[in-house]
Amino acid sequence: MNLLALYCTHQTTPLAIRERLAFATPERLAAAYTRLKERFPETESVVLSTCNRVELYVARPSDAEPLTPPLLAQFLSEFHDVPLDEFVGELRAATGSEAVRHLFEVISSLDSMVLGEPQIVNQVREAYRVAEAQGSCGSVAHALFQGAIRTSSRVRSETRLAEGKVSIASVAVGDFAKSIFDHFADKLVLVIGAGEMAEETLRYLKDEGVRDIVVVNRSPERAERVAAEWGGRTAPWSDLNKWLGQADVIVSTTGADKPIVDAKLFKQVRAANPGRTAFILDLGAPRDFDTNVGDLDNVFLYDIDSLRNTCEENRKARVREIDKAREVIDEETAKFMAEYYHRASGEVVSRLMQDWHGVSRDELDRLFNKLPHLNEKDREQIERTVERIVNKLLHPPLEALKDEAREGTPHGLINALKKLFGL
Amino acid sequence: MQIGSPVYFLRSRAVNEIMLKTTVICFLASYGLAFACELSQLKRRYALTRIVSLLLAVAGLVAHTFYLLRRSNQSDLPPLLSSAHDWLLVVAWLAVLVYLFVTMADGELATGLVMWPVILILVITSRFVTDSPSHRLDYHRGWKMLHASMLGLGTTFVLLGFVSSLLYLWQHRRLKKRLMTTGAVKLPNLELIERLNRWAILTAVPFQAFGIATGFGLSIFAKGGELPMTWTDPVVIGGAITGLLMGALFVWLLTQKRSPGRQVALLTAWACGFLLVTMIGLQMLTAAVGMRSIHGSASALSEAATQGRAP
Repeated sequence: MNLLALYCTHQTTPLAIRERLAFATPERLAAAYTRLKERFPETESVVLSTCNRVELYVARPSDAEPLTPPLLAQFLSEFHDVPLDEFVGELRAATGSEAVRHLFEVISSLDSMVLGEPQIVNQVREAYRVAEAQGSCGSVAHALFQGAIRTSSRVRSETRLAEGKVSIASVAVGDFAKSIFDHFADKLVLVIGAGEMAEETLRYLKDEGVRDIVVVNRSPERAERVAAEWGGRTAPWSDLNKWLGQADVIVSTTGADKPIVDAKLFKQVRAANPGRTAFILDLGAPRDFDTNVGDLDNVFLYDIDSLRNTCEENRKARVREIDKAREVIDEETAKFMAEYYHRASGEVVSRLMQDWHGVSRDELDRLFNKLPHLNEKDREQIERTVERIVNKLLHPPLEALKDEAREGTPHGLINALKKLFGL
Repeated sequence: MQIGSPVYFLRSRAVNEIMLKTTVICFLASYGLAFACELSQLKRRYALTRIVSLLLAVAGLVAHTFYLLRRSNQSDLPPLLSSAHDWLLVVAWLAVLVYLFVTMADGELATGLVMWPVILILVITSRFVTDSPSHRLDYHRGWKMLHASMLGLGTTFVLLGFVSSLLYLWQHRRLKKRLMTTGAVKLPNLELIERLNRWAILTAVPFQAFGIATGFGLSIFAKGGELPMTWTDPVVIGGAITGLLMGALFVWLLTQKRSPGRQVALLTAWACGFLLVTMIGLQMLTAAVGMRSIHGSASALSEAATQGRAP
């Protein structure tokens, strides 16, 4: 099989190199396809470029001279204007069934930074769509990427690789906040501080329908920026206690060196709403809320450590599914290769059948001309008999070809058949 | 009666034969197996097990219905009025209906883990209370039906309140202990359970109150061989205490602007649990010791009737 995958990923290559080899914009990608076609005519190609990987899949006809990793590496060097010796050692290559398996593992997220993450499927789909739009896909690329998409569906449905949340914010909102509140549209969210994790949590909360967000931060500029980005409003630091008393969801990430809220203070500020439930997500390190706040009635306090344990458990559960995912990938790789080899020998099979049936047709016409007294029914019987003879004679060589094709393209047998029967 | 009509169907020979062969064990076994299916899904939920569990519940409900119809036919009384045994089975039947409704609405919820034990307890205890039908329904039949129906509905809502408060406490504990959700056990969120719990109690108490009030009225105006109410009757004492307790809970819930969830759940669990234990326990006690009681054994009533006086 004349298929080559050349790639560098987050597992093998530092970001500093990956970002220089990335096809970052649609224009750059389109230009890459144009250059690939100029440089390697009659070659199918698909480029997969994400923040974690740059991968090139190229396929050529079986009888064409195969592409080699150095040739593609040279192309990357010239296209990105990066000296070859700066990255060539970071590249990895796979050919034939190994290239197929690699793509199937990538799309199943086995090669992702977060095992089971769903984005990679869309990224591979998008790469395939762009390649198709650029006219760079042929029969091999189509079969390969459709097989990859099928494999990822099977892995997701037959294993628990994508089950359970693995980021702190997604666990906090998906596993805990949603187990407390039925809906979020009428909930007041108070954000104390304006760290990155608070913003990530806001993204999940917005997805759940949160409308009312108040950002309190010592630096008003950062508070303004976060509030503007997430459709909230800001409040001065001096009003913190007032908002603590009213909020349903509190996300805190101040970076203070000691807790800013203890149980006594919290009970005091909530005195006006004693039965109101509070979900507190303390993302500060050191923590912003004293742990005894979590002992109060109707207060659910979660800090990074308590959520990290859940993330870790989910991650371990996903790791336990890797073997099952690999079984699916092995099956799909074998299936893809068998189909591919079968297709490769299919051309010879159809030509052989066409030739033999053509010869029998000519001979029958000649016979019917010599025997004009034969009626329609007799002619039909003779035609059927001859067709059966041809099929029976063709059966052994075609079966042998099919058996050989299970292990790989049967080049020897195909050549023998071509020579023997003048195909 | 037209062939094809529901009445014809129920009186047809085949159905009658099935009805005659249906015993408590039939649906108890179905419910028990359905509960076992729920338990087997604690680790991981399988679609097949879920379907089997649902089919077992439906099969059990059909057998349960047949049994109640047969009992009703035999005593020529509605099951609610027939005996304490039938009355408990009607409450269990209503609980199964609620379970099926919730499961159809959201098959992922782990309500079965809490509902099935309660249903099984009701069915099992129905074996230990009197199953002799009351034959003294010559007077106030309509009022007696109303009394039994109100208490039956009230008890079903109490049961729902009890189940929802258990679910609340389970979810609350999980959230406080920061335990992740295990693959199969999906519990409803606290806000939703709190609302359900509140409505279950607010609906149960008026039904219960009306049921108890009509019960007192019926006892005061008892006629013929009927057993009149006595203040020493354990069922009367138990009913009055639990009625007062539920009434207090009802008033407290109404006066709360925002109900502090765990406190309500704990109170509801205790109040409803106490009510259920008292009601069922007293019925079992009066049946076991042959005590004369307002809902007691038929022997007590028969005795009273034979002697032509109030016992």
